[in-house]
This record gives sequence, structure tokens and C-alpha cells, in this order.
Amino acid sequence: KMAAAVAGNLRRAGWRLWRGRAVVRCQLYSPQRALQASAVLRRVSDEQKEPLASSSQQQFDSHPTDHQPEQKPPGPRPSYTGQGGQESEDYESEEQLQHRILTAALEFVPEHGWTAEAIAEGAKTLGLSVAAAGMFHSDGSELILHFVSQCNTKLSELLEQEQKLVQLGKAEKKSTDQFLRDAVEARLRMLIPYIEKWPQALSILLLPHNIPSSLNLLTSMIDDIWQYAGDQSTDFNWYTRRAVLTGIYNTTELVMMQDSSPDFEDTWRFLENRVADAMNMSDTANQVQSTGEAVVQGLMGAAVTVSNAETSRAVR
Amino acid sequence: GGALRALCGAGRGLAAGPETHFGFQTVTEAERREKIYQVFESVAKKYDVMNDSMTLGIHRVWKDILMHKMNPSPGTILLDVAGGTGDIAFRFINYVRSARERQLQRKLKNHQNLSWQEISESYQEDKFKLLGDSQVVVCDINKEMLKVGKQKAQHLGYSEGLSWVLGNAEELPFDDDKFDVYTIAFGIRNVTRIDLALEEAYRVLKPGGRFLCLEFSHVSNPLLSRLYDLYSFQVIPVLGEVIAGDWKSYQYLVESIRRFPPQEELKAMIEDAGFLKVDYQNLNSGIVAIHSGFKL
Repeated sequence: KMAAAVAGNLRRAGWRLWRGRAVVRCQLYSPQRALQASAVLRRVSDEQKEPLASSSQQQFDSHPTDHQPEQKPPGPRPSYTGQGGQESEDYESEEQLQHRILTAALEFVPEHGWTAEAIAEGAKTLGLSVAAAGMFHSDGSELILHFVSQCNTKLSELLEQEQKLVQLGKAEKKSTDQFLRDAVEARLRMLIPYIEKWPQALSILLLPHNIPSSLNLLTSMIDDIWQYAGDQSTDFNWYTRRAVLTGIYNTTELVMMQDSSPDFEDTWRFLENRVADAMNMSDTANQVQSTGEAVVQGLMGAAVTVSNAETSRAVR
Repeated sequence: GGALRALCGAGRGLAAGPETHFGFQTVTEAERREKIYQVFESVAKKYDVMNDSMTLGIHRVWKDILMHKMNPSPGTILLDVAGGTGDIAFRFINYVRSARERQLQRKLKNHQNLSWQEISESYQEDKFKLLGDSQVVVCDINKEMLKVGKQKAQHLGYSEGLSWVLGNAEELPFDDDKFDVYTIAFGIRNVTRIDLALEEAYRVLKPGGRFLCLEFSHVSNPLLSRLYDLYSFQVIPVLGEVIAGDWKSYQYLVESIRRFPPQEELKAMIEDAGFLKVDYQNLNSGIVAIHSGFKL
């Protein structure tokens, strides 16, 4: 069946995000080990389906064909709660189970860091053996990537809701700089519960085998923000927009790592200044220079600053 | 169910049952089990020495890689089948011990603001759980191999968290859903009904548990394959005669490796038993392969 074959291919790619656009980019998220696809689908058809299982099965099959850039967030996700450990075998697919385990593992990150141990603890809470953590890479990459993509999804949902309110006339349309500031702040605030261990995560995301995936997640998040910004006022072209906001986001994130002010005030002030600088670049010459600077800032400076951030946080 | 199967097996053996192989010979299933038992009975005392000389010590690296791949966290319960002389079990204990130490160190680091009294108290209570509740059960069908293993354990000082059980991989004496990890290192080749062993493995593993199999496999590289064949058939039986005084057992060993299913076929068999996310990793271009699967 076509759907099964396509679904199989996607699973082989490893990382499924629930949004159609991201499905195309998914091809880069290749895990170290190849996933075998067909046994799972076979298994599911053997088992007795709960009403919940069959509805998410449909969701699963319909996604591969959905490639529109503008897409509503998916409907309410099937709830996995309320089932005992024995029910873990009624899951719909390996990937969905893996996502469940990673989500459960996030709770243990503040204590264990982004490690296989956190994943093992997560698996335990789902009633699975700690050995299930062996499904993932031992450096915790998948856990971090899962978290990042979860945050990005949450951000998109947030922006979508805001846009709806504006369309319904219930809220004012924000100016571009205000919009960008709020979006970046909202996204960065999601890091707060994990901020102690975040420098560790950043350094893992910079490992060569993770860069394609982490870069992809970053750029799609940035594109998302610009899309919802609906910017008409500035004279930026698409590449500049991307590079500028990426630079702003990355540098603000790094500042946040080293920020000890109450509720990260210093970070938001830094963010405000960077966005204001960006808005002031209106002519082409400035844009070209700034694009270059922003790219350099965003990528190269990151590696050095992260290690500093890690040391300063360790000291504190 | 198991008892019935055993009866049928014995019955079939008496009636010149289903044919299978013993090395390159054709024998009945019952004969095969008997012959293999005798092979290991005779090689048990020299098993470790022979492993070292045949593989030039590389088998130790293979077993270390297996342990690293398993990456067991403290609290893991391991069943090592055909574990005979205890190589995997001892490595497991070492690994878990050092993981546990690191865990305790990290806990202490996080408790920087406790008083000395509190720190020493917390250290004391954890001290008695050096392995952090981890356990390994070594199961083997052969009494002689187990005997050698127990002696080794005593000699090397392994006692905590270790137990030895006499049992058949095709019919394990354990309840369902008991173990976190099931390993079988260089043992599955000697099992007569591999499918039964895989089903048993599935049965005794907890949901989420992992199956790991370390075994000789097929070399695809033609040049390496020829050298390997040359070494296997010309050198190993000679070593067997010289070191262990037993040519035939080592002839069997080499032949059984050739008869064993290649990587993809074993992978399919593991999937048939119900395991998911089945995959394999070739070591030394396929001389040895580690197969892994999960009970999900």
C-alpha cells in the first residue's frame, strides 16, 4: 500500500514531526541505526484496536500526503494516559512509542542531564524496562532534538492562536519589532525549566552528526516566526530575514545562559536592543553587511560562547 | 506447553526425528543436542584458553563492545544465556559498578549544600548497594561449563548480584516478563531450535526489554573470507588438538560457524519471534555480528 510505503520511508528517516511542512525536512533526521518498518504495521493490524488507536492510525497515514506550508496544528492528540504498563504493547508505532518515552524522559533532565539515564527513567515511568533506552543514541541527541521540536511546535501553536485573535479583531496587530521580540521571548522562556543543563544540550547539538537536524529545526522555527509576523514594513529579502533573526535568536539564547538577573530581565533587554538594531537596517548595503555579520555571529561565535556559558554555569 | 514439547522432542528422537546438522554432518535433533553437550563437556576446562588462542584475544574486545552497546544502567537485571564461563556476566558487573560510582558522585555533587553529617549518612546507605540493585543470572545447559564459571567467579572475587542456573535456552526455567536484558554470546549457534530460543527470550523479557546476540556471522568481503576460511579450517582444529587435545570439537566449532544463518536471516528470525527495532552491527567485517531487538 502506498501509505504504508511512504510511512515506512518516513520512519526510516527517523524523526517525524506532526506538521506537514516539516515532513519534507524530516529526511535529514537519520538515526544511527536503520529502523525496520513493516513488522510494526503488521503487528498493529493483528492487535485489537482501541477506538483511540484507530483514530491516531488514520492521522498517521494521512500526514505523509500533506505538504502545505500553511497548516493548522493537528487536532487533539490521542491521550496515552490512564493505561497501565501492560498497555504499552498496544502502541500504534515504534516512533510514537519513542516520542512518548522521550517526552516522559524530559521530567528527569534537570536531575540527570540530557543523557541515556534520563531516557531510562522516562521509560520506567511508562512501565517499560530501563533497557528501552538502548533504542536511542547514548549521547542523548534524540532527547534534545525531541525537546527542541516540541518547543517549536508549541511556539507555532501560540503564534497561530495570536494570529486568529488578530483576524477576529480581538487583538491589535503588533508591529514587527514587537512581534519578533515577543515570539523570541516566548520561545526562549520554554528553556527556563531546563536552563541548568541547556549549555550541555547546545554543545551536543553542535556535534557534527547532529548539525543537519538541529540546523533544520532552527531554520524552520525562524521561518515560522517570520511567516506569522506578516511583515510589510521592512525592506528585507528572505535570506536576510532568516539570517538576521537567526543571529538575534542565537545570541539572545547564549546571553540567557549567562544571565542571572531576576526573570532574565537582562536577556529581554538585550533582545529588545538587537531587534531594534535589525529594524534600523533599511538600505541594501547595510543589509548585505549585516547578513554576513549575523551569520557569523549566529554560527561561529556560538561554539566559543557555549563553552564559556557551560563553565560559568558550572561555577555557579 | 514446554513439557509437552520436550516429550515430543524425545519421542521424535527415538523415531529418528527431524534431521538437522551437527557441523557438516546430518543428524537428528536429539543426537545433535547430545553431541553438543559432549563437545562442551570436553572443552569446558580449556574453554577460555582456546578462545584466546583462536581469536588472538580479540574475543575480549567483542565482548567489551557488546557491553558498551548494552550500556546498562544500575538496576538492570540481565539474563545471560549459554553464559557458561561467565565472561559477559563479569563484564556486566564491572560496568554497572562504575556506572553506579559515577551516579553516586553526581548525586554528591548536586548536594553541595548539605552538612558533612548528612553527606556521610547518604553515602553510607548507598554504600550497601554497590551495584544499585543490578543482577545477572547466568544460565547454561552444561554442568561442566557452569562449574568452570563458578570457580572463576570465586577466583576473581565476584559474588554480589550473580547467580548460576542450569537451564535450556529452548525452555528457560524462568517466569514471564522478568529480565531487562537477555544476552546470548557465542551460544545461539549451538542451540538446536533457534526459533524456540528466540521465543523464550521474548517471553522472559520485560516490556521494553532488550535482546542482544553476539555470534559469528558471515563475511561478505571475498578476500577476507578466503583468509578466514583458511585460518578456520587449517589452524583452529590444530590448535584444538595441541591445546585441548580435542581436534573433533574444534572441527565442529568451525563447521557450525559456516552452518549458522547469515546476518539478514538471523535478523528475520528475531523479528519472527516478535522483537521490534531489530538491527545488527558487524564487527571485523562480519566475522562477528551483534544483533539487537526490543520487546515492545
